[in-house]
Amino acid sequence: MRVWATIALVFLTTLAPPASVASVAADDDFSAVVKLIERFYHVKHQSLPLLARAGIKAVRTAARIRGGEYRRIAEVGSARIAFFEDELFDSRGQMVTFKGSVQTTLASRWSGLVQTLAPKDEEQTYIYIRDAREKFKVLVITIGKHDATVVEATVTPEVLADLIKNPEGMGKAITDEVATSDP
Amino acid sequence: MNRLFQTSVKLLPILLFVSGAAISTRAQVAKLQLDQLDALASRASETVDVKLDEHLLQTTARFFSSKDPDDAEIRELIKNIKGIYVKSFTFEKENEYSSGDIESVASQLRAEGWSKIVGVTSKKDGQNIDVYLLTVGDHVDGLAVISLEPKELTVVNIVGPIDLEKLTELEGSFGVPTFTLSTPKAKADKTIK
Repeated sequence: MRVWATIALVFLTTLAPPASVASVAADDDFSAVVKLIERFYHVKHQSLPLLARAGIKAVRTAARIRGGEYRRIAEVGSARIAFFEDELFDSRGQMVTFKGSVQTTLASRWSGLVQTLAPKDEEQTYIYIRDAREKFKVLVITIGKHDATVVEATVTPEVLADLIKNPEGMGKAITDEVATSDP
Repeated sequence: MNRLFQTSVKLLPILLFVSGAAISTRAQVAKLQLDQLDALASRASETVDVKLDEHLLQTTARFFSSKDPDDAEIRELIKNIKGIYVKSFTFEKENEYSSGDIESVASQLRAEGWSKIVGVTSKKDGQNIDVYLLTVGDHVDGLAVISLEPKELTVVNIVGPIDLEKLTELEGSFGVPTFTLSTPKAKADKTIK
């Protein structure tokens, strides 16, 4: 009886994923999307460009000149970013297929919020969202003819409320901020 | 009397289940299946797809400031809304889509409960805007807008209690395009079916 109980326990322990697995899997979705872009477009991502890092100064200075205050969108330390620069993003008429692959990669843990496709200009934007306790994780994928960015950031519901008023501008707001924030 | 009471008590869970299922079914009917429109994406020069579900709307609704009049209005507006879904396709040339392409949506709007409340046709611009409401009893459970232009097709589906007046207040926000349905002048310029 004891043997069976031990076997059952081992079996259940092996089968039951630890509580953190779901969150680890969701975190890996960022990497999965980056790899998907690399595979589909035969490109390689890079680290944060120096030019972008310098941008934060300009954003903050501009805000100060306007008399306003620089308001942070992403929670400090929550952002991840992958850049693809000076590459050729040619979907060869298969942009809809790529959209399907993004959906397949993220559908189980993320909800699609905004998707915009402009095949002629090779431009795509995808914004996915998921709960992160009292906050939200936002994943923004922006692909242009020669550049692409994948950003994952945690935002508060207050910030999200502000952003969803203009869902189409939301991706740019988050990407711009994360791309120009201190690494 | 006692027997009747006992029977009622026994039936209560069933009644609750049935009424819950009915509410859920109503929400499902109000939410149109728009995925079949995705086939148009391969022909379109630009596609926009916005999905704001109930959880997201309600979680963020309470963070719209009650001090800012615009935010307070939005907060009140989306308080009971269960979803906002927008699909828009822009084409390079005219007639790149046909009425058959939107039949999957049109057929859902022919179902019981849905009725066309506004039909605007502009011969000059070749624009057709139809607004449908889903009513159950005296409740409005959903709204749909189909806007057809020679080079553009837009479908908006709002799930929950909403009327035309509220729709016009949502125009320009949450991915809902501006249909200019609100201005009497714009209406006067067009032929109302």
